[in-house]
Amino acid sequence: MLKATIDADILKESIDAISALVTECRLHTDENGISTRAVDTANVAMISLLLKKEAFSSFAATRSELGIDIAKMKNIFGMMAKNDMITLELTDDIHKLQVSFQGYKYSITLLDENTIRKDPNPPTIELPGKVAIPGAELNSAIKAAAVVSDKIALGIDAAKQIFFMAAEGDTDHIRREFGKDEVSFINGVEAKSLFSLDYMKDMGKVMSRAEEVEIHLGIDHPAKFSFNIAGGNGHVEYLLAPRIEAD
Amino acid sequence: MLFREFSAICQQIEVIRGRLEIIDLISQRLPALSDEELPVFVRFIMGRIFPDWSPEKLMIGPNLLYEGVAYVVGTKKETVIETINRTGDIGKAVELLLAEKEQTSFFSEELELVTVYHEFEKIADTGGKKSQREKLLVVRKLLANASPLEGRYLARIMLEDLRIGVGEGSIREAVARAFLIDSGIVEHAVQALNDLGYVAQLAKTGEAALRDVHISPFHPVKMMLAQQGSIMSAIAENGTIAAEYKYDGSRFQFHRQGGQSKLYSRKLEDVTNALPDVLAILNESTTTDIILDGEVIAMKEGKPLPFQAVLRRFRRKHGISKMQEEVQLFPNVFDILYLNGETLIDLPLMERRKRLETAVSGHIAPQLVSNDPAVVEAFYHRALDAGHEGIMIKAPESPYTPGMRGKNWIKIKPEVDTLDLAVVGAEWGEGKRAHYFGSFLLACQKNGELITLSKVATGFSDEQLAEAYDLLHDRIITKAGKEVRFEPGLIFEVGYSELQVSSNYPGGFALRFPRFIRIRDDKDITEIETLDSIRERYMRQPNS
Repeated sequence: MLKATIDADILKESIDAISALVTECRLHTDENGISTRAVDTANVAMISLLLKKEAFSSFAATRSELGIDIAKMKNIFGMMAKNDMITLELTDDIHKLQVSFQGYKYSITLLDENTIRKDPNPPTIELPGKVAIPGAELNSAIKAAAVVSDKIALGIDAAKQIFFMAAEGDTDHIRREFGKDEVSFINGVEAKSLFSLDYMKDMGKVMSRAEEVEIHLGIDHPAKFSFNIAGGNGHVEYLLAPRIEAD
Repeated sequence: MLFREFSAICQQIEVIRGRLEIIDLISQRLPALSDEELPVFVRFIMGRIFPDWSPEKLMIGPNLLYEGVAYVVGTKKETVIETINRTGDIGKAVELLLAEKEQTSFFSEELELVTVYHEFEKIADTGGKKSQREKLLVVRKLLANASPLEGRYLARIMLEDLRIGVGEGSIREAVARAFLIDSGIVEHAVQALNDLGYVAQLAKTGEAALRDVHISPFHPVKMMLAQQGSIMSAIAENGTIAAEYKYDGSRFQFHRQGGQSKLYSRKLEDVTNALPDVLAILNESTTTDIILDGEVIAMKEGKPLPFQAVLRRFRRKHGISKMQEEVQLFPNVFDILYLNGETLIDLPLMERRKRLETAVSGHIAPQLVSNDPAVVEAFYHRALDAGHEGIMIKAPESPYTPGMRGKNWIKIKPEVDTLDLAVVGAEWGEGKRAHYFGSFLLACQKNGELITLSKVATGFSDEQLAEAYDLLHDRIITKAGKEVRFEPGLIFEVGYSELQVSSNYPGGFALRFPRFIRIRDDKDITEIETLDSIRERYMRQPNS
């Protein structure tokens, strides 16, 4: 069972975060809120998202699993206005989700959750380097890197206490360094890994809205991007596998 | 079976040269496969995905595949194309790229042979606006989980060209040997069921199941084909023969069951929607459950129009009613394969003809039965005078053998020196033809491999060049300067004045004065001229 009302903007923010990586997912509901975990088709990027019941203006749910067509949800957002209140209701027919707003009532056929990939288990990895940076800054640097290359290096220079993002193109390169005044060094140990900008661009757009993104890094290791949504009543973690250049 | 194991078998076969050794290797693997794996294995190893009767198509173009590869490997599409240019083979290129890929992933799942097939089914099911994106997702998913070697064969299967040199005949032998069944029985079952995968599954249950096969409506069977010959020798061999006009149109197969009916082309594509007029005529002529074989011709004022007019109608997807007014089509029915639950292909021709005449009213091709060469000769001239291509001579006692070209059907037509060849490359035109291809590279076949034979640049109207461009531009695999290479599929009929021995082309022959005659998109790539038959033609030339 699910019956919840939520601000259109918060719902959109959450769906956008998921749609950066996948087109469908299994959504879990229980009395505390909703959550999902998904991995993209190439097994390169994972998302784990939690929306607490406090993010909703009203929320009642029991434990269940819904197969959501993310692309379809995004289409519906086109019809919504900012600050619309959206009611989500899982009716007795558990294969239909009712979405109501502005007097409209959408009945969305859910996907058979068995056809959607099972929740991936996040790998157990140590990522010692930790910094926190404004989401907008992170996204700007990603966009700048995309101009010259298809991959971007993220790293921490421990000696200089600098967090850097750099991209090498065939002819040009670009580098942006952040000092202590711009980022907070939670744990400034040496780190550097390379990531595909294909993924970073899509994730960057989502992260640009976050006040602060915590980045966890290692050396030639995945990166974890962790940030709040829904005014602190929700949380997203992206995990991205690195590119490793042949020597 | 894991796709990894399947790939290892393909790799083994690829280096074996001997046909018997290949048959041996495959037949040893078949018995251990599960009921679900067996048909998939059998079709995949031939580079096919769906049953031959099935209208399902994967429709993954080379460009979509390149995009998927680029994404998974973490590179640009241009790099993928460059690698293909360098290796000359999409399979090897994907293998190389996967081996060098920089992008790591969190995990990969072992691909099962059957999972791969189910993913392909998903792709074939998707249609409409979103289909390209859905297809791309599946391509990415498969490649993301593939080892480099698996990537080699996945890529080739997705383009339905496995290039390991295993033909249907070898697999038939392997099935026969694996399940200890006479290969003639296997062959007959394949003709009726038109899916060697399913036949293998039946073979596993024993010979009885294979003996008792039936044709089913909406599972089209391959068309029976004719070979060249002469009136004299046909009569000498058979005594009495049956003769029919050879229509210059396009073959069709009509299926009807429970009030539903469909039309299939020579390549067994579903052309029901393109030919509503032909369908209506046939539905009026018969009301029973039936499968008919015939030829559609275009007529204007009582005279048949050239074949090209018919083909344009077969290809049509939009504006069908407008085309219908311009080109009127009529069916000529000459055979019956199935009637009310009964499979008729094993009956003699004359018996089938009787059934045909009772079950169908009208539009049956006239037939002459005679043992007199002069009468048949006169019939032949009447056919030519009426604007038809010639006549067909059929052995009265012969069964209908789907897909077979044999001496039971002989075609008699004026001698023309034309070859059906695959278009494998082209060069961009010049001047006002700069936006079209101007010259085309053509290939014949030898043991399933394509061997370039000639270029053709003359004989085209502007309209035909535009048509060729429409049919070919999505097939471009590689570009280099003014030259492009195509994923083979389109066939040209080409005329020539003489065959010459030449070291310019790998087949050892070249065409003198090649000229374009027409596009043969009713024909399948496996039906193009073989190098052996070209050699025979060369030997028959007066001066060789």
